[in-house]
Amino acid sequence: MNAITNLSPDLSRRNFLGVSGVFVLGACLPSCARTPAPPVATEPFVPNLFLALEPDGTVHVTAHRSEMGQGIRTALAQVVADELDADWSRVVVDQADGDAKYGDQNTDGSRSILLNYERLRTAGAAARMMLRQAAAQHWGVGVDEVEATNHEVIHAGSGQRLGYGDLAGIAATLPVPEDPPRKSEAEHRYIGKHAVHVDAADIVRGKGTYGADFLMPNMATAVVVRCPWLGGGVKNILNKPNTAPGLLAIEILDPSASAGPVFNPVGGVAVVADDTYTAMRIARDLEIEWADSPNQTFSSDALQEELRKALTQPGTPVPNAEKGDVDAVFAEGMTELSATYETPFLAHAPMEPPVAIADVSGGMCVVHGPFQDPQSARGLVAAWLGYEPENVTVTPTLLGGAFGRKSKPDFGLEAVELSKRLGRPIRVQWSREDDIRHDYFHASSAQYHRAAIDERGHPKAWLERTAFPSITTVFDGGATMPADWELEMGFSNLPYTVENQRMEFAGLRPGVRIGWMRSVCNIFHAFSANVFADEMAAAAGRDPIEHRLEILPASGVLKVPGMQPPEGHGQDVGRLRHVIERVRALSEWDRPRPEGTGLGFAVHHSFRSYVAVVLEASVANGTPTVSNAYVVLDCGTYVNADTCVAQMEGAVVFGLSLALLGKIDMADGVVAQSNFHDYPLLRISEAPATSVELVPAQGRLPAGVGEPGVPPVAPALVNALFAATGTRHRSLPIKVA
Amino acid sequence: MALKLNVNGRDVEADVAPDTPLLWVLRDHLGLTGTKFGCGGAYCGACTVHVNGSPVRSCQLPVSGATDAPITTIEALEAAHPELLDVWVKNNVAQCGYCQSGQLMSAAALLEGNASPTDADIDAAMAGNLCRCGTYVRIRAAIHEAAAQRTGGNAS
Ligand code: FES
Ligand code: FES
Repeated sequence: MNAITNLSPDLSRRNFLGVSGVFVLGACLPSCARTPAPPVATEPFVPNLFLALEPDGTVHVTAHRSEMGQGIRTALAQVVADELDADWSRVVVDQADGDAKYGDQNTDGSRSILLNYERLRTAGAAARMMLRQAAAQHWGVGVDEVEATNHEVIHAGSGQRLGYGDLAGIAATLPVPEDPPRKSEAEHRYIGKHAVHVDAADIVRGKGTYGADFLMPNMATAVVVRCPWLGGGVKNILNKPNTAPGLLAIEILDPSASAGPVFNPVGGVAVVADDTYTAMRIARDLEIEWADSPNQTFSSDALQEELRKALTQPGTPVPNAEKGDVDAVFAEGMTELSATYETPFLAHAPMEPPVAIADVSGGMCVVHGPFQDPQSARGLVAAWLGYEPENVTVTPTLLGGAFGRKSKPDFGLEAVELSKRLGRPIRVQWSREDDIRHDYFHASSAQYHRAAIDERGHPKAWLERTAFPSITTVFDGGATMPADWELEMGFSNLPYTVENQRMEFAGLRPGVRIGWMRSVCNIFHAFSANVFADEMAAAAGRDPIEHRLEILPASGVLKVPGMQPPEGHGQDVGRLRHVIERVRALSEWDRPRPEGTGLGFAVHHSFRSYVAVVLEASVANGTPTVSNAYVVLDCGTYVNADTCVAQMEGAVVFGLSLALLGKIDMADGVVAQSNFHDYPLLRISEAPATSVELVPAQGRLPAGVGEPGVPPVAPALVNALFAATGTRHRSLPIKVA
Repeated sequence: MALKLNVNGRDVEADVAPDTPLLWVLRDHLGLTGTKFGCGGAYCGACTVHVNGSPVRSCQLPVSGATDAPITTIEALEAAHPELLDVWVKNNVAQCGYCQSGQLMSAAALLEGNASPTDADIDAAMAGNLCRCGTYVRIRAAIHEAAAQRTGGNAS
């Protein structure tokens, strides 16, 4: 973190006062020709959706993406404030409701900056231009003679200066320029620098408002007991209490609604009470007879067996991906290598379980909660109630982690339905058990790799198969097969040079809901491909990094066909090679480690970013220990350097949790795990020291940060453990607690 | 029946069943929502508060067991540990922040008993506090920095 300026609000305020003090002295010489300040405006200056300037100089930036720890509220404000050249200490961030006027608000896919970077720069730059024009007009000078900097417009010729707030009234009368001049990268004060998160000071005082912290007058709290298997309705409540202190209602939620739009609730029995504990206690004691459902036969072990079986036969070929003649090369009798890799179902387990509060009254509905996509949530709530979207407000609170789980607003719809029935605000609080048992699970998977290699470990033919239950099974009742965009997450876009290559896939319908979890199919595809590449190197006795650089093309940009807009991204092999070279240096790859300690390497391109990881690991008494993690990230242009580093640190922990500990099992349609004792997460005592290097922006397009750190972690661990012990783990998790 | 508690230096009353966990009394009855619910099972530490100066998982403690001892929550931590809050903010320790009330309460209790904790001391004292966002390396660094500030030295 060299050369990162500290922009903590206090520091920048002090700088600002110091600097302006000097100027004020000079500006007050009696010889100055001075125009009186314009009258104080009565209204804020609001040139666009994302920015409002109060007459007192306070700048409001509207964050239309949801904050879940990725620092987006801060980053969006940094972009606007930089182009506005605002004083950071006078910037306040307001959270937007879900509303189509903002464009995409679906905070997933690591897209917030890349979708909004240019438009937010323009938003800030337009306001800055208008403030300069306002000042020039007021002083009767040319706009080219005035400069806007750090919340003031200055006319150097006369020494006059006006604060941004003083100019709000005049600026508001001017037309908004469509193509305002924007800063060069070198001129950026906030973009690409360190900023303390705008919510940090609240969070450490317990004042951050998360889903369960938003209170409404006359609210009650509901806890829902859901059928252990997907799709089972309530047959009978065997011990329904008529009254109990604090109990307000027991309501049955129909699961058939979940056959409709995919993010509808699963149904169950809602216990509504004056307070959370009363609702939880009564819910815990309910004995409920559930209706049968076809999902009751679902077994994750059986599904895994089917996935394994699918890999033993030809699958559906990835269209246009076949190169050369794989079978002919395999018939030549070269050295062959084949391996099957497996990964289990996973639960997101954000530290904040799902929770939301809704108030349906007077034909209006207001919902607050940790929603990743308040706009689609608004649409779903409106559809549920039969209201016009204009009569529904969905406002995100802070999200206590999400990782993809909270892009599904099923928990919000539960609150909406109960508020509608009971005529008062209802908060629905999920327990941890509810969260783990009723997740939209990350899919289990299996991959088969077979290669014919030469004496340097280079693949001459490579057959790759993948099988997993697709996310599309949630959207489409008939779907069985993975979608192109799932295959493009690290499977059909392997960057390696191989003349003979075939890629095949298979899918199955699961008896649970599948969802996207931080980096999605990249998790298992990066795992199998990186471990298999390491196995090729090992089979030929080669250094894994040296070998990898050899099997990558020297340069070129590989097209990633299904990549969502904006266009202009592919997989740039030069950038891939660069992060590999950098992680080799950062980890001091060639420095000998103690006996029994191994280094493992992996690299992956996802969400338009390039991440290389080296882990240092050893095993004592059967327990793996990861002592050091080295990560190099190339995400193009980035906004908050420190956030990028933090996201890589977090990705290491997230990746190690799934590599070492995470596994969800289902038998008879029922999830076996329920809380952190049987679905453990990495603890601080298991977390490695972590070094992160950011590749300089170099004017490149911004790319993803929240997700791309995760995929290389698990394979780097497996490769490190192989280096340390000679044992190759091909199935995750490596250790089941 | 109204139970008497002393929370953050104030005498308060809560009219709740005596088996109600302290967590829910703080959150639902006293309006102190800084203390978080993460698991309800003593696994995650999100609900950590101080009772009599010791870190306690408030989801496990029936409120009837907390009537005789002073209770401190995150809302009042700043008075005794401004340095912790400062280093936490300055170093952007929090990601989503949901676990951080508990992390800070555990960190404060650690520093009360150990002015200069080692990495191993930190790992031992903080192992009960999960962070799904993975802020552990910053928590370690921030505790060292806060300890150095408290003892008048500088964090290296
Ligand atoms: S909520 Fe108390 S330990 Fe998790
Ligand atoms: S900061 Fe998100 S769980 Fe710790």
